[in-house]
Amino acid sequence: MSLTLACQLVMNGLVFGALLGLVALGLALIFGVMRVVNFAHGEFITLGAYATFLLVTRLAVPPLTGVPVALVLGALAGWFIQRTVLSRVSGRPELEVLMVTYALSVVGLGLFSQGFGGDFRSYAEGPTGNLRLAGVVVGWRSLSVLIVCLVMGALTLLLVQRSRTGLGLRAIAQNRDASAACGINVPRSEQLAFSLAVGLAAAAGALVSLIGTTTPTVGHEWVLDGFVVVVLGGMGSITGAVVASLALGLIHSFASYALDDSWARILTYLLLYLAILVRPHGLLGRRAEL
Amino acid sequence: MIRERPATPVRRTVRSVRPGLLAAAALAALAAAMPWLGVSSYARTLVYYTAYFLTLGQAWNLMSGLTGYVSFAHGALAGIGAYAAVIALNAEWPMAAALGAAAATAVLASLVIGATSLRLRGTAFTFATLFFQELVLLVVRKLRFTGGPGGIVLSEILPVWLPHVMMMVLAGGASIAVALLCRSRVGVRILAIKNDEVAAAAVGIDATRLKLVLFCASAGLAGLAGAAHGLFAASLYPDVLFSVDVSLVALAVPLIGGVATAAGPLAGAVVYVGIREVLQSIAPGLHVTIVGLLLLGVVMFMNEGVAVAIGRAAARWRGHGGRQRARAAAGDD
Amino acid sequence: MRVLEAEGLAKHFSGVTAVNGVDLAVAEGELLGLFGPNGAGKTTLFNLVAGTFPPDRGRVRLNGQDITRLPAFRRARLGIGRTFQVVRPFRALSVLDNVLASVPSAAAADRDDTEAALALLRHVGLADRAQARAGELTLGMLKRLEVARALAVAPCLLLLDEPLAGLTSSEAGELLGFVGSLRERTSIVMVEHNVRLALPICDRAVVMDAGSVIAEGTPAEIRANPQVIRAYLGEAAE
Repeated sequence: MSLTLACQLVMNGLVFGALLGLVALGLALIFGVMRVVNFAHGEFITLGAYATFLLVTRLAVPPLTGVPVALVLGALAGWFIQRTVLSRVSGRPELEVLMVTYALSVVGLGLFSQGFGGDFRSYAEGPTGNLRLAGVVVGWRSLSVLIVCLVMGALTLLLVQRSRTGLGLRAIAQNRDASAACGINVPRSEQLAFSLAVGLAAAAGALVSLIGTTTPTVGHEWVLDGFVVVVLGGMGSITGAVVASLALGLIHSFASYALDDSWARILTYLLLYLAILVRPHGLLGRRAEL
Repeated sequence: MIRERPATPVRRTVRSVRPGLLAAAALAALAAAMPWLGVSSYARTLVYYTAYFLTLGQAWNLMSGLTGYVSFAHGALAGIGAYAAVIALNAEWPMAAALGAAAATAVLASLVIGATSLRLRGTAFTFATLFFQELVLLVVRKLRFTGGPGGIVLSEILPVWLPHVMMMVLAGGASIAVALLCRSRVGVRILAIKNDEVAAAAVGIDATRLKLVLFCASAGLAGLAGAAHGLFAASLYPDVLFSVDVSLVALAVPLIGGVATAAGPLAGAVVYVGIREVLQSIAPGLHVTIVGLLLLGVVMFMNEGVAVAIGRAAARWRGHGGRQRARAAAGDD
Repeated sequence: MRVLEAEGLAKHFSGVTAVNGVDLAVAEGELLGLFGPNGAGKTTLFNLVAGTFPPDRGRVRLNGQDITRLPAFRRARLGIGRTFQVVRPFRALSVLDNVLASVPSAAAADRDDTEAALALLRHVGLADRAQARAGELTLGMLKRLEVARALAVAPCLLLLDEPLAGLTSSEAGELLGFVGSLRERTSIVMVEHNVRLALPICDRAVVMDAGSVIAEGTPAEIRANPQVIRAYLGEAAE
């Protein structure tokens, strides 16, 4: 394999991994703080994708502005859902909460399918052209996606690791009752975590619409990989999720080249399966550590 | 000394179940006779689909309803059964052997998932089934043996009544089996696992083995349901057979109607088919959304399902005065 | 013959040593009290004997048989019954079903289960609530239910983890009397905080502190032991 090809594959892998990392970040945040496996996460990705698609095709807005719009839209929708649905089931056993998020995802999927039909949507607007870096050709489209993901990911990590609010989130992840007893506003923190996480998902969706096609199930596909990564990285460990995303992105990129796309996915799922068995707590994290 | 109190007569519920079982058997027999009773093919198809969803629902119920370990694999297990049966029949196997192959393949698949993931926490099992569902779809689309993305077709033409009767037998049998299981000692132990797995182990219950056995039995049932439906549909397309829809039905039907009961999935299947029919004329695309909303509502507000909620409401309405009197008579503590 | 022999049991949890080389022996028909301040490792020791998790070091023998690597449910079937510090009833099941869920050990397998279960419920005073949903009972009743459930495995060793916690003093007195009467059926190890009430009915007592055994002996010996007084009993050891 030539060096340029290898660099190309690495680049592809990084872009995929970065997007996946954004999705997984949100999933890990929600699981860490709220102990909820958010099956509805994919619907927010789809929301961001369609929102951006509409913005670009109806209002002729540059696609990258779709990112903050999607972020806000996703966060608002998330806040609403958290207030009306999730907060009501917060004490209940895992099975029931899982069913609630699953039901929400079904509702979302149904609405998107009804509203947009099964067509594949895409658009040509947005960054075009290539960048030549020491013999490697990198598309501006992919590069901008990578940059936005890295920026957003870094900001979120900063928030969680360094800010006072983030400290509160990490405390809740370790021990909910003790945090409440220390005066941390647990319900408000949960709202924040959820809204932020799904806002990130929607932003990821905006980026997905830029480099891929948008269908009602687009989010669902990304979220499955997101789950893979969160389990690999340790349920609730954010840094673990990010590292696992990048690793998975690279593996996927090379596997897609060596085998074809379907076999690559099969390989991915088999890998995950082995990972669950070998380390049920994931590769990096221990329980309840953001 | 602990004061000994007189024991109230214990109503062992086996006796009260028998009329229910007879009714179920009679209903199944009646439904199975439909092809010869001169009803319209529309009615017949409606009953068929109710039975199909009921069987899928009971299969899911048998595992996830009773143990609390959520499975998203039942759609895939049914699909595997369908493919196995059609491939076997196309290879000139006798019907009984083909059905046996359907059940066996599904059981084998479940054994692989179950033996590896049932020892772990419930969420790990759920993920394993989720990935299994995806994996099966990918593999079936890939392999030429299973016809690739174009699917396979049943080469012989079967009499119309055959899949119909099969499905009725399965639906009736599955419901009766679940009813008997829930009342049995094993059923009590399974529900104990769902309530508190650690406490269950402390009283000698081998949770892992019970879960595995249940999962395999439930997979076999799903495989048979899939096989019967495969014979009904005659053309199998992987994207349809392994779509999220089927696994959704398998879990929505018992959840809406009432998990861990035999009657719940029946109520759920009737509701589901009803909704589909009603929406067919009004807004065909919305039925997934409506089912999702219904599921949401049930889990949030009536989380033991519609059937139990109605039952409780009826009992409250009937026994409200009586219970208050009984409580007063029993005294404190 | 000793019903239980535990040698050199040790267990660490991410840096904290909960149990540090503990030996424990229980004779047949004995009621052994296990005391010690919070965090002494009593419940962890119970969990090691009951099989909730395996020890890092050490061995456990039940009636001479090595059970160190056996999972919890197998130990229950061999005759170890236990209750929990925080009750863990099967809430959605009836009181009767809670007891029927137990898998009786081989010794009792051929008895008529429902009758035996009702007899146990009569013994703990819950027979009139046999059909009630366990989730509706008060704490005192749940504690008694848990004892009945543990007895349903026909144990040769009964582990009671703070059976008196949360009970009123009259309830506690009743339960203690009942526990004392169980000595004929099974050996008992009882963890308790209420030393004043529990120590008198014990045949022997063991006191733990910070993961190790600091004293062992008859109730009188324990009361007089200066280390115990220092670590745990304080001034009011009457």
